[in-house]
Amino acid sequence: MNLLSINGEQHQLDVPDDMPLLWVLRDVLGLTGTKFGCGIAQCGACTVHLDGEAVRSCVLPVSAVAGKAIVTIEAIAENAVGAKVQQAWLEHEVVQCGYCQSGQIMSATALLQYKPSPSDAEIDAGMAGNICRCGTYTRIRAAIKDIGQA
Amino acid sequence: MRFNQFAIVCLGLSGLSSAALANNAELIERGKYLATAADCVACHTTPEGKPFAGGVEFKLPFGSLYSPNITPDKETGIGSWSDEDFVSALHSGVGKDGKHYYPAFPYTSYTLMPEDEVLAIKAYLSSLDPINQAPPENTLSFPFNQRWGMVFWNMLFLDDGRFEPEPEQSEQWNRGAYLVQGPGHCAECHTPRNLFQALDSGEPLAGNLIQGWQAYNISSDETHGIGAWSEAELVNYMSKGYAPGKGVAGGPMAEVVNKSLRHLEETDLTAIATYLLSTEPQQAGIARPETKQLSMPTEMGLGSNLFAGACASCHRWDGKGNQSPVASLMGLKTVNDPAATNLLGILLTGHAGQEQQIDQRMPRFAEGYSDPELAAVSSFVLQHFGQSGGSVSAGDVAAKRGNTGH
Repeated sequence: MNLLSINGEQHQLDVPDDMPLLWVLRDVLGLTGTKFGCGIAQCGACTVHLDGEAVRSCVLPVSAVAGKAIVTIEAIAENAVGAKVQQAWLEHEVVQCGYCQSGQIMSATALLQYKPSPSDAEIDAGMAGNICRCGTYTRIRAAIKDIGQA
Repeated sequence: MRFNQFAIVCLGLSGLSSAALANNAELIERGKYLATAADCVACHTTPEGKPFAGGVEFKLPFGSLYSPNITPDKETGIGSWSDEDFVSALHSGVGKDGKHYYPAFPYTSYTLMPEDEVLAIKAYLSSLDPINQAPPENTLSFPFNQRWGMVFWNMLFLDDGRFEPEPEQSEQWNRGAYLVQGPGHCAECHTPRNLFQALDSGEPLAGNLIQGWQAYNISSDETHGIGAWSEAELVNYMSKGYAPGKGVAGGPMAEVVNKSLRHLEETDLTAIATYLLSTEPQQAGIARPETKQLSMPTEMGLGSNLFAGACASCHRWDGKGNQSPVASLMGLKTVNDPAATNLLGILLTGHAGQEQQIDQRMPRFAEGYSDPELAAVSSFVLQHFGQSGGSVSAGDVAAKRGNTGH
């Protein structure tokens, strides 16, 4: 039995210890905003926050996250920085197909919490683990820069 | 103990035969444990082959050796071997019909095992299904194909004798010393070899390059060996394959953990740790890096860009490990080896299979990335996390491809 704190709510879950967090979010709790991409922490689509850090939920066993605060895209608007990121995303019309964007927003929020005014190099370093098939990178960078300069 | 009592009850109730059976089952079980501690299966099983059927290739500078079939098949295995034949193989390196073995077979270590333990292993192997499969012929060149030459080698380098406990040391220490020097045959990979391919007794456990991987110094030296590890960290490493900030078992060592060490009783692993921490410190090999506060770079190049895209998600810019402490790069010798031996090995082959928890696995990067790319990211890792000043060229990566086998 694992006790998980997800988006501020406590969940008592009877799932195997080695089940990846992403499976718990999508299949057990129905929080399908977090996406499955590659399953080996190489694409960033499954990014969530664990105690404020961006982590890849596809390779994170549920036993490793018990007792830590998990935040997913569904609750990111409740985070002040997260709300700004979502707003900037709309203003810059960042999204194209959208599949990677929940991961992009989670990574951008984590980056801005750690570096409120990131340089181009820091944006590259912080966001490079999130790949986008539509190539929205330039708009992502512009949106993050806008928030950093605000 | 309880098993013995059970055997005695059986003896009383139903006569000798069930007692003999019970004793035999106990012997087989003991042999299985010892065969696991000795990791017989690793060298006597090919990746897709049946356990203990042999045929694993050992590439040496002067040709290739293939491990024999040790299932109880009468024609191609050891089914027709007497107890004496088997004891002679493990104690003296001389098999049935007087055939001399090459020291790729670690009989110079197994010779420390008492006869009853050797015969327990035989009882276990004899309980397996026989598999009819002959290994490929060895391809050693002259004069190395002359097995009789081993007579002289054995005169020089084989100390044929059983383990003698040191009375002034604890029982636990002696148990650890026995497991390390005897069945565990740790020195076979972790002690440098001399010109004659014999273990260099001047530098025990000082580390060695073997089959394209660094078998690191495991003497008690704090900088070069495992002296800075706690006993609990060593036990964790042996039972789970990692000790955050100290080491992660990769390449052939991951196999040793999977097939052998993690199946041993915790008391035995603790004994091994106790012994290793008491060994003579050897100041040789790769030093552990200093751990320092690190953050993301302010300027990006090819190496750091690749690290950002493919590595930072799990390992982080500060090297502390994102998904779990298993992914910690801080303090690992692998990031402080200027030749990047194990770093390239792990990048090309990936880490851990299905038997490991999902946060211990790392994908292989051999196919998706070019030699210059892997060279750049390796150089970045060495320079960002270590102090060796090492740098890797595309040629180094090319040479390493195809040289990562066990």
